[in-house]
Amino acid sequence: MKKSLPAVAGVVTVLITLSACGTGGVDGSGSKEPVPTLSAGEKVSGDITFWHAYSAGGTEVKTLEKTVIPNFEKLHPGTTVKAVQVPSDQMHQKLVTGVASGSLPDVIRADIVTVPELAKLGVLTPLSEAMPDFDTYAKKMYPGPLSTNKYKGKYWGLPLDTNTKVVVYNKEALSAAGITSVPRTLDELKAAAPKMGGGKYVFAEGGSGGWNLLPFIWSNGGEMTDPEVTKATGYLNGPKSVAALQMLIDMYNAKQLPQAILGASGGVGPTDGVAKGTYASMIDGPWAFPNLKTSFPNFAPQTSPVFSGEGGSISVVGGEDIVMTQGSQNKALAAEFIRYMLSDEAQLAMAETGQLSAQSTLESKVSAMEPFYQAYLEQLKTAKARPATPQWAKIDDIFTKDAQQAFQGKMTAQQAMDDAAAKIDPLLAQG
Amino acid sequence: MTTTRLAPSTAATAPARRKRPNRAVSARHATRWWVPWAFAAPGMILFIVVVGYPLLRSLQISFYQWAVLPTDASTFVGFDNYTRALGDAEFWTSMANAGIYLILTVPLTLILGLFFAVLLNAKMPARTVFRVLFYIPVVTSWVVVSLLFKFLFVTDGGAVNWAITDLLPLTSEPVPWLEQRGTGLVAVAALGIWKSLGWCLVVFLAALGGVGEEQYEAASLDGANAWQQFLNVTLPGIRGTFLFVLVLQVIGAFNVFASVLLMTNGGPAGSTEVPLTYMYKQAFSFLDFGYASAMSFILAIIIVVISILQFKFFREKN
Repeated sequence: MKKSLPAVAGVVTVLITLSACGTGGVDGSGSKEPVPTLSAGEKVSGDITFWHAYSAGGTEVKTLEKTVIPNFEKLHPGTTVKAVQVPSDQMHQKLVTGVASGSLPDVIRADIVTVPELAKLGVLTPLSEAMPDFDTYAKKMYPGPLSTNKYKGKYWGLPLDTNTKVVVYNKEALSAAGITSVPRTLDELKAAAPKMGGGKYVFAEGGSGGWNLLPFIWSNGGEMTDPEVTKATGYLNGPKSVAALQMLIDMYNAKQLPQAILGASGGVGPTDGVAKGTYASMIDGPWAFPNLKTSFPNFAPQTSPVFSGEGGSISVVGGEDIVMTQGSQNKALAAEFIRYMLSDEAQLAMAETGQLSAQSTLESKVSAMEPFYQAYLEQLKTAKARPATPQWAKIDDIFTKDAQQAFQGKMTAQQAMDDAAAKIDPLLAQG
Repeated sequence: MTTTRLAPSTAATAPARRKRPNRAVSARHATRWWVPWAFAAPGMILFIVVVGYPLLRSLQISFYQWAVLPTDASTFVGFDNYTRALGDAEFWTSMANAGIYLILTVPLTLILGLFFAVLLNAKMPARTVFRVLFYIPVVTSWVVVSLLFKFLFVTDGGAVNWAITDLLPLTSEPVPWLEQRGTGLVAVAALGIWKSLGWCLVVFLAALGGVGEEQYEAASLDGANAWQQFLNVTLPGIRGTFLFVLVLQVIGAFNVFASVLLMTNGGPAGSTEVPLTYMYKQAFSFLDFGYASAMSFILAIIIVVISILQFKFFREKN
């Protein structure tokens, strides 16, 4: 042990030197640059980089790289768009390291829940200030997807594509249990649950995060936060939010909901379960259909709106926004590329691959493409976005864990949501 | 796998061979002090760049409310991140889980590794085939086998539940392995044992080859049976190797990551979180790099203390 003394002294010396070097810049200048004005139709040239997480497996990346981007480059000779595909589960980490190392691209297709986080970090250009024609795009959008771009009174991006979830069900599994029609309300779901049994379930949910449980809370008339997203107390632990959670807990305790709702792996996933008839229904997005078609070609999935309650039939908005970074060296081209990605031509091309457009003006054209699109576009009209806050990842973690504690019987639903609200409030206060 | 055969022969011949060139080298290059450094340089530079600098940097980060954006100012918070970790129940849950994982994996891995090493050390047909089979898990990808084990432990229709409910009816209800804390850790530990058994076995095999044949002969002349020979000749003969394997396995148990992330992802309700998955989430999901760094140093201190204790415990017995 004595030998290590000089080593310790060496480490201490290096440390002192390091801390003298400071922690990088101190002025936070990144977020204070003046916002440029980027008008439409300006002459653009040069190149930009575009990060996206379009799935490489299907036709999405192919359409983007072989059709959409070449068409843009043809419209604007002398420009190059370098598209970089990032696997979706690595996108957040890639963005974080991009922020830390100053190597973000010019344009990003960002998951809707990461836009406020990036805006707070000061790495985005507020499109509502930079693009004089911002409003012409904003007013075409469904309100749910558009709201995901708002942070501190500015819009930092525009909805590039959207999705939501609807009830997807197996008609034969229902009729085998003597249930003649799919439950349309929360009460009908509760009433139908005991008719299954024998290892079969009327409904399966694959997790207990906001993405999974908020449709139940909202449809029951509850809320997660106030409309301004400043506090959760009085909303998340309000009677209607708690009642929605309680109903699911009751079903879980009566073994009418499979374990999958605990977010635990190991059970039959909802998609497989519905196709096999183990589960009669699930709430899932449009991506379920191509997956089911590949794995279970003989299964004909049916759709129905999310189970309604006092609050209506309210589903949750998913999808991606397109944003421009503060550090982009070619913002004029970046803006022109964003405009093209939101054009009818690009939106319809991507819709063919399963990316629903968030523009209500394209509804009839998009819904004609695939029979199941109609149900999603209808649900989108009332679908709500998860609270737009840079703290979403932490808030969702708190909510998920407390809900899981309630499912496990370690707390009552009321205690769990009281605890979650008390922990979420200070995070929302940070803005 | 060839180490067993090489070990005794090199030990015997190496000193004799080295003698002369050694003297010549030292005489000729005595003044060139930088020569050994030049040879060490590539490795040392690599170490400093990919281990040393990040280590010191993260020590620095651990004292800050770290701003991800380099142009933003980070706030110096002293030991706040450390005291926060010490009072964080979820961090201690993750440490406790690492402890449970350690208790489940390390003794079994060492005992089974030694058991199979002794068996495979004996002359038997297809010995190499068995050695290769035991070593295959070590070289497989953590990600691939974690997903594989996840499928084995699936509640409905998983092979493990099929075996215990249908094949040998131990229970009528399938066990929700990955859906609760205790069984989840058991499943992860099963993968840990399966994966590191081969490595322990190979290291033990090498050590067993180094125990002199004459010692066994002497012991049998004294009338020791096989078990007595194992206790009094084999075990003392591989003490150093045993300590080496033990220390590395304990460190490995505290550093379990990919299998937990992929098999349970710390769920349900964070009950199977281990230190590395918890740190990873703090850093890359919540951007709390200062906090994650502080936890990593607390973990490092705990590991160093445990390693020192292991060395002490084994030395005193000598």
